[in-house]
Amino acid sequence: MTYRNRLKMYFKKPHNIILTLLFVILLYLTIVPMITIIIDTFTVHQSELMRIKGSKVGSFTLYHWSKVLFSSLSAKMFYQPLLNTIVVALGTCFVAILIGGTVAWLITRTDMKYKTIISTLFIFPYIMPSWTLAMAWLNFFKNPLVGGAPGLFTVLTNIETPNWFAYGQFPIIMVLGLHYAPFAYILIGGILRNMDANLEEAALLMKASRARIMRKITIPIVLPALLSTFLLVFSSAMSAFAVPAFLGTPVRYQVLTTQMFRTLNGLNPGYGYIMALVMIIIGVLILAMNQKIIGKRKAFTTITGKSSNISLIKLRKGKVFISLFVLISTLLICIVPLISFAVESFIVEPGNYSLSNFSSVFWIGSGSPEIANGEPGILRNPSILLGLINSVKLAVVVSLVAGTVGILAGYAISKSRGTKLSSIVNNLAFFPYLMPSMAFGAIYLSMFAVRRGFIPPMYGTFALLVLVGSVKYLPFASRASIGAMHQLSGEIEEAATIQGIPWIKRMIKIIVPIQKASFISGYLLPFISCMRELSLFILLVTPATRILTTMLFQYNEKGWSQYANAINLLIVFFVVGSNVIVNRVTGASIDKGIGGN
Amino acid sequence: MKKTLIIALSLVLFALPVFASGNKEEVASPALQAEEKVMTHDELVAAAKEEGKVVVYATTSRIANAAEAFEAKYGIKTETSNLKDFELIEKISKEATSGVTGADFVIAQDGGRVQGELLNLGYLYSYVPESLKNIIPARYQDPLVFSIINKLFIFNNEASTQEPFENIWELTTEKWRGKFQFKNPYQESVNANFLTMVTKPEISDQIAKAYKDYFKKDIELTTDNAGYEWIKALYENKLIVTTSDTKTAESIGIKGQNKSENAGLFVFSKLRYISSKNLALQPLLEVQPFSGFYYPLYALMVSNAKHPAAAKLFIEFLLTDEGFKPWSSNMGTYSPNPNVQIQDGDYPVSFWEPILIAEDPVWCFENRAQVEEFLIEYLY
Repeated sequence: MTYRNRLKMYFKKPHNIILTLLFVILLYLTIVPMITIIIDTFTVHQSELMRIKGSKVGSFTLYHWSKVLFSSLSAKMFYQPLLNTIVVALGTCFVAILIGGTVAWLITRTDMKYKTIISTLFIFPYIMPSWTLAMAWLNFFKNPLVGGAPGLFTVLTNIETPNWFAYGQFPIIMVLGLHYAPFAYILIGGILRNMDANLEEAALLMKASRARIMRKITIPIVLPALLSTFLLVFSSAMSAFAVPAFLGTPVRYQVLTTQMFRTLNGLNPGYGYIMALVMIIIGVLILAMNQKIIGKRKAFTTITGKSSNISLIKLRKGKVFISLFVLISTLLICIVPLISFAVESFIVEPGNYSLSNFSSVFWIGSGSPEIANGEPGILRNPSILLGLINSVKLAVVVSLVAGTVGILAGYAISKSRGTKLSSIVNNLAFFPYLMPSMAFGAIYLSMFAVRRGFIPPMYGTFALLVLVGSVKYLPFASRASIGAMHQLSGEIEEAATIQGIPWIKRMIKIIVPIQKASFISGYLLPFISCMRELSLFILLVTPATRILTTMLFQYNEKGWSQYANAINLLIVFFVVGSNVIVNRVTGASIDKGIGGN
Repeated sequence: MKKTLIIALSLVLFALPVFASGNKEEVASPALQAEEKVMTHDELVAAAKEEGKVVVYATTSRIANAAEAFEAKYGIKTETSNLKDFELIEKISKEATSGVTGADFVIAQDGGRVQGELLNLGYLYSYVPESLKNIIPARYQDPLVFSIINKLFIFNNEASTQEPFENIWELTTEKWRGKFQFKNPYQESVNANFLTMVTKPEISDQIAKAYKDYFKKDIELTTDNAGYEWIKALYENKLIVTTSDTKTAESIGIKGQNKSENAGLFVFSKLRYISSKNLALQPLLEVQPFSGFYYPLYALMVSNAKHPAAAKLFIEFLLTDEGFKPWSSNMGTYSPNPNVQIQDGDYPVSFWEPILIAEDPVWCFENRAQVEEFLIEYLY
């Protein structure tokens, strides 16, 4: 066969066309930004003119690297925040795995009561925006030392919270830990559920103690999932921005993302790009480790089959207590923050929780210059309405793009499984997951602010938000789709191919109907993530393209906490609402996308 | 084979510029607009109505109210955006270099960067309405100042209306440890500019003198000058760094705190919360060697404006008593036009100038980087 004919044959198969196209596009959208960011760490930006004396915009400089890594400022500016970032990420993993793992074990392995409601509610903190709990923490525990008005806790109990408890490292770790606990719950729970209980029973028959079974059997089997959770939570916590920004700023506790926001947005983007680069490198290392471990896990799971009869551990006397304890804590974490937002959004005079101080002015008021510069209440505020419309529009478009491309990617990757191109595209499609959101936004800003060939300058356009969102959330959709497609036997489609049915029809009539639930999860995850995303978009939005989350951040910074609380409530309402509706209507759910069963 | 090759080649050629570093669009030269012939007011109105629309970016949110009044008066559509100072600078630069037309004029703060980046690079230019050339003092004309805002030392006067300190050095003593608040200078450039001004030789000399007056001995320098020394002492005395002046005003002014030392340096205009949010706040007006600082907001034309006449008309409108209403309805924001009414109980700019520190754009542009690096030691 000639070279040309082979090429022709190759491109006769739709999945090869998809794969090649994806390869080119993803290469451009992931590798080129990496190169751009590296160049940016050596370039003079406009706002650095006052810093680097006598320089011109765009000229080469070593200033950023020498200042960030080797100057008297490096410790405060870079090394300390880096250390803080690692401490926060490790602490978050510990809290998330401890809480998530325990709940997963209780639900899959014991006879605890209220399992259905707990397992539904426990996912909530992950569905809600991460700063929800951070804001709730502030509403409750803020102390007058820094915040002026005391929080609800102090008002109710008259106990003043110490600074370390109210702000900084401890609350950041707690809040992020709770936010990612569902993640651990889903991954570890999935393994526990599929684990062959016969192994444990065999040990039990041989009179091994509970502790010994735990140590020798349960934990070793769960270990790979545990490590995998650890790495994923670690990289997510590392790139978290909103939570450290809310809880760390009052006591000047800095992590890399908050430093990055300050430098990228302020006077020295060069510094920020270096930090972004460092975070991406850590992310890639984590991916490499994760893939090694996942590879091992696959070998592990082949041994274990699904057990037909899992014997549940009896909690005996502790049953009622443990069940109630877990139920009440879950309720506290899910419901109480929402109540506190509602309360905070109605009070006028800060810190005064008496009924006479309640007012609906922040919801439906027409705005007076005495309060917050005449900003109308959020339900009749045109700029908030614009933000809401933009948020919903963005989430819908992004989920359509990311979801569809993800499905096609999953299809093409699993169809040509084993080829080099397939595994390259697989990795490229996962790469955006590792890029810290803010760094990702920064790169796209720097890359697409100017005209590039046939691509017009996209600075300040809605299209840029869609692009960055679609690429960032592609991994969610492609993971869900690859997972589903791997389980689908090739014969089903081949039967149709033999009958000469065109590809489009095969997709619509065969593949999509079979994989409906997984595909819908592939659309749902980008939608929800996009609705509650802050750090990815914070550098990219302009007044015309503002979205709810960035407005919330602005209001909070300005100190208009009633508006911030009200908007937060609005976002939670939309995110949770759409999740529930999709769940009810289609049966698809968010935990499917993350990797549970 | 050939065909495939040609297709592949043309694809590559087509895609190549996508990878090239971005092409910068031509920036319209500001000189062109500046040389236009002077229009009479009526001609300007006619030209503005012809354009029918004006887009403005401003660092003040009340521009929306002024725009409503302007629309009502002239029937010209307005589009306003409220941005933070650095966002505005970033946006104007991006628009100028990428050739996107956005704003027609801006209301910007942060004199150093506005001068050093936007005016010097020709993205913006200053325009003074003909009718105001003889009214606005010359020092506020180049570049044209839109308003002046003051930030003062303000304390909680619930327990006593007696001013709690007389000299800025008192804030560095044990008595004031952890009791004084100031917004993070990284979050608002005018605060960074103020700290930069403090290090300017003539001001740091005054600070050295105030040191001698207060401690009865000469200052011993561990840094470049007395200005740096004061900043260092202030931050080392557990300065509370806040994220917004609103929050600062609230946390200082809330009643029932029973702290005799409780003050901050923030915008005077927050005193409007005294009644609406039930706060206890009072400014200090006799602190040595200064009682705070003031900074200008500039009204500047964008060089590649799509609606230049409407923009000029709007600027003229903003500098009149009528156009300035949204700001003059509260204390603490002053028009450079001395004919604009101020609130009862407030003072005119001429009262503030001698007791507050001004912002020198050139000094700030040259020296702020150094001050910011100095601050990193204490802020992070």
